[in-house]
Amino acid sequence: MAISSVPKTNAPPPGTAGISVRDLSVHYGNFEALKDVNLSIEAGLVTALVGPSGCGKSSFLHSLNRLTDLVPGCKVKGSVRFGNGGESCGPGVDVLALRRRVGMVFQKPNPFPQSIRRNFEIPLREHGVRRKEISEVIEKCLRDVGLWDEVSDRLDRSAMALSGGQQQRLCIARALALDPDVILFDEPCSALDPMASAVVEEHIAALRGRITVAIVTHNLAQARRISDRVAVFWIRNGSGTIIEHGPTKEVFSNPVDPSSRCYLEGGCG
Amino acid sequence: MTSLISSRFTTRRSRVQDWLFGGIGAIASLVTLGALGWILADLVKMGLPHLSVEFFTADMKSAGREGGIGPMIVSTFLILVCFLFPAIPLGVGCAFWLSEYVQGGSRIARAVTGGVDLLASVPSIVFGLFGMSFFCQVLGLGFSILSGGLTLTCMVLPILVRTTLSAMTSLPPDLRPAAGALGLTRATTLWQILLPAALPGIMIGITLGVGRALAETAALLFTSGYSTRWPESIHDSGRAISVHIYDLAMNIPNGGGKASASALVLLLMILAINLVASLLADRCLKSQYIS
Repeated sequence: MAISSVPKTNAPPPGTAGISVRDLSVHYGNFEALKDVNLSIEAGLVTALVGPSGCGKSSFLHSLNRLTDLVPGCKVKGSVRFGNGGESCGPGVDVLALRRRVGMVFQKPNPFPQSIRRNFEIPLREHGVRRKEISEVIEKCLRDVGLWDEVSDRLDRSAMALSGGQQQRLCIARALALDPDVILFDEPCSALDPMASAVVEEHIAALRGRITVAIVTHNLAQARRISDRVAVFWIRNGSGTIIEHGPTKEVFSNPVDPSSRCYLEGGCG
Repeated sequence: MTSLISSRFTTRRSRVQDWLFGGIGAIASLVTLGALGWILADLVKMGLPHLSVEFFTADMKSAGREGGIGPMIVSTFLILVCFLFPAIPLGVGCAFWLSEYVQGGSRIARAVTGGVDLLASVPSIVFGLFGMSFFCQVLGLGFSILSGGLTLTCMVLPILVRTTLSAMTSLPPDLRPAAGALGLTRATTLWQILLPAALPGIMIGITLGVGRALAETAALLFTSGYSTRWPESIHDSGRAISVHIYDLAMNIPNGGGKASASALVLLLMILAINLVASLLADRCLKSQYIS
């Protein structure tokens, strides 16, 4: 496969990189957004992160690929390990290599305002993929998200001219192009209409087994449909934390924590 | 009943207010348009009879009362080149650094933006004096097109920095995290994503700067000088069109007609540059967002 030419350091084979998070805290200035979070995200499965707004789900997600580094005044403490790799939280980590292994798809589709081809070329070139291999990678990734037949004749036209749902699938394809072990989804369907949302959801579910997926969602039905495991975030003592996690079926059918029960049954949150 | 009356009163008052503000706005717009029309009509009326192919190509004669402005057009063009070459990298570079490499509220950022704003408020005649003492004398460039261009660079820099900075800050906020999440370096993000996205705004900034530079007289009087010879290099003194207009209008009896014709040429140049720049910016935007 063409993409194997991407240099990857100490990377376990795809699908085997789980994420182990220990005592993770996130501060924005004096505000503690997340406190002492512990979670094991299992390799190759889809893990949904649910909970009311403002309880630190996105902060959690963004601290995994160190996008929190881009936020002035944000401090992250604790331990994050991908697969059997080293510590990825703290100083001295090759953050760019980390982000290549840990892709992310955002709430609002965010293609670069350039051609569809350039949206792939820029990151692929940055990570050392040879020019002649790029077309092959683009086709494969666009096929993976069911976009190839829709855009194959307009790769050199603006990505911004696509519909919202197409743009979001393009962003997923762009993340896939770097052959990551993990993709983090931050409410990927919340800016889309129900039809587009269903298509995107289908393609996220199809990643199961190939890639480790963590998805933040406010749509409990969606979490129930596509996830294997679920973690419920809640605010305790002014900071976000995980109050319950486990296999999706178990947590939804028999939540232990009273707040979590109330939230999952639609009574509060 | 009272509530009915008061509501009717409010409706009438708001209708009057609406009409009043609309009217004032319309009059203000018409006056603005009228001013432009008047200037144009005046220039065309006074200047058009003097315009000919010869006017663009010939030497001036009789202190400018006769002949053309060929050397001035060439000098103006050369001054523009000497101004743009350092101005674009300096202005755009400064704005990039401010927007991407330093934090908005930090002391250094405030110091630089404060300095830039201060520079913008310095009168152009002061730049002329500075240019004369620094470029002409200290650096030994003499009265030359190069000195004039560099003086304009200092003067127009704030416009370039400010417009580029505002182009950068008005970019969609999700581009940077999108690039970060793909493991792109800051340099790649800046050069391959942010710069192309901000290019239309930067081009408009450069156009504004060029317009300002073309219109400048005071800063050039003491730096590029007012020699009317054909310049052979950027080390020669050369008279800009704006300086020529000033000279004709102030010092030469019966120079008014040629002054108007020169002004018309200057205006046409600015108009042409504006047109080209806005076409390019439009095309750039279209390629980014539509086709």
